[in-house]
Amino acid sequence: MVKEGTNRLSPVEEGLFTPPPYTESPPKLLGGYCRKCRQHYFPRPRHCRRCLDPVEGASLGSEGKLYSFTVIRTRPPLGLPQPYGVGYVDLEECGLRIFGLLDPGAVDRLRIGLPVRLAVAPLGHDARGERCLRPYFTPMEAD
Amino acid sequence: MPDVAVIGIGMLPFGRHPERTVVDMGTEATLLALQDAGLPPARVGAGFFANALAGRLFGDMTIGQNVFGEAGINRIPVINVENACTSGSTAFYLAYNAVAAGQVEVALAAGAEKMCVPGFGLINSGENELETKLGLVTPASFALRAMRHMAEFGTTPAQLAAVSVKNRRHARHNPMAQFREPVTVEDVLTAPMIADPLTRLMCCPIADGAAAAILCSTASARRMQRAVQVKAAVLCSGSYENPQDLVRWETDYRVCRLAYEKAGVDPADLDLVECHDAFSIAEILHYEALGLCLPGEGGRLAAEGETALGGRIPVNTSGGLLSRGHPVAATGLAQVCEVITQLRGEAGQRQVAKAKIGLAHCAGGDKDGDTKSSTVLIFAV
Ligand SMILES: [Zn+2]
Repeated sequence: MVKEGTNRLSPVEEGLFTPPPYTESPPKLLGGYCRKCRQHYFPRPRHCRRCLDPVEGASLGSEGKLYSFTVIRTRPPLGLPQPYGVGYVDLEECGLRIFGLLDPGAVDRLRIGLPVRLAVAPLGHDARGERCLRPYFTPMEAD
Repeated sequence: MPDVAVIGIGMLPFGRHPERTVVDMGTEATLLALQDAGLPPARVGAGFFANALAGRLFGDMTIGQNVFGEAGINRIPVINVENACTSGSTAFYLAYNAVAAGQVEVALAAGAEKMCVPGFGLINSGENELETKLGLVTPASFALRAMRHMAEFGTTPAQLAAVSVKNRRHARHNPMAQFREPVTVEDVLTAPMIADPLTRLMCCPIADGAAAAILCSTASARRMQRAVQVKAAVLCSGSYENPQDLVRWETDYRVCRLAYEKAGVDPADLDLVECHDAFSIAEILHYEALGLCLPGEGGRLAAEGETALGGRIPVNTSGGLLSRGHPVAATGLAQVCEVITQLRGEAGQRQVAKAKIGLAHCAGGDKDGDTKSSTVLIFAV
């Protein structure tokens, strides 16, 4: 899913996902982990919210299942496509339920429970109007 | 700790007020509340002013001193409040605390918002938050709850529409509401889709508006026949635990339970509820958190008319946010105005017969699949 320009654009926010290129291994979400509390976080906070110890960096994997989704059909913010999908994904590796964008090309195939995988591509622009890379989830099943 | 009563309310009809400023609207609501209480401005001992958006939209700040100054209220503690959709009810909470703590005899809470400006767009929970950067807009956060509620409990689009239909029917008799024309389930379902499954008529419109309330100790209110007791005022942030259950909204249940405990009442004691129907699914979720029905049965409750005027527990007799529109920082106080009007027996054609106990519920802002702020106020006569 590496599209042209992926390597040159900045991520929407630093530290959310492994940086391109993805020729060797597909993108993975990055977050934090507190050993003491056995608690994962996304994005990575400075301190664990339970014990306030520093949180170490952790890969959160790239696969999960759609817990809920919606398709936003009105005028989109941040130069996102119209329509565009968002959802909550239950991540396979760490059990976090995280909010994320969904593949704009798959808005008609979304359903609760759908297995999804992380992708990273140019999608919309940032607050300053610069095109940027955003993480999103795409169905693991073929069309 | 002194008991607290509401002795004055005031609000402007919500809608488009292109010629008016936030200060102008806030001042009028404040003056109406003073007039309603029969108090001179000098009697107000502390003022709490709510506004959420004017800093961003117009570059305004510390507006409360301008509003209260215009209303002749000076030389007192004035505190400006921003707490998303609960800004107004948070101002009320603070005014309640000031009186309950014995700090002041009389406290004022007012809120005003101006949103009907070109290019307002969709509201979010803060430009710099990761979820906003990843495309979360407020309607989507409730659409996600609606999709999950439908999948888990079989809630239908027609049930979601029933909330909008009911609230518009209630609004017909409320001159403060922006939209008073009735709509049908068909109208609601065929309106343009905003975020699946929420159509435009399931989402509250924006508005300009202001509302205010004056509180004092029950001892001082004793001779005032129209005083209404405040039995509980609760404010809470979310838990932000992960994972969040989007349809068994722990924070919402927790805040409602806390308010019932403080007031010493049960859901069955309530005669009416104003709740935060920013989206029709929100009203359904709040029914469940408030204990008006079992978890999962909120859609049925709306569709079967139990929450309509004349039903078992009327909800949003004002028409709610869906009909009034939602001038963010004025909404929480507009809810207070409706509950007080009902408990005074002054609601005219939308009056709930023999209303003795009423509740105002408000929630606002998204964070980590939870709410940023939630308030529950319980009143009684
Ligand atoms: Zn920890």
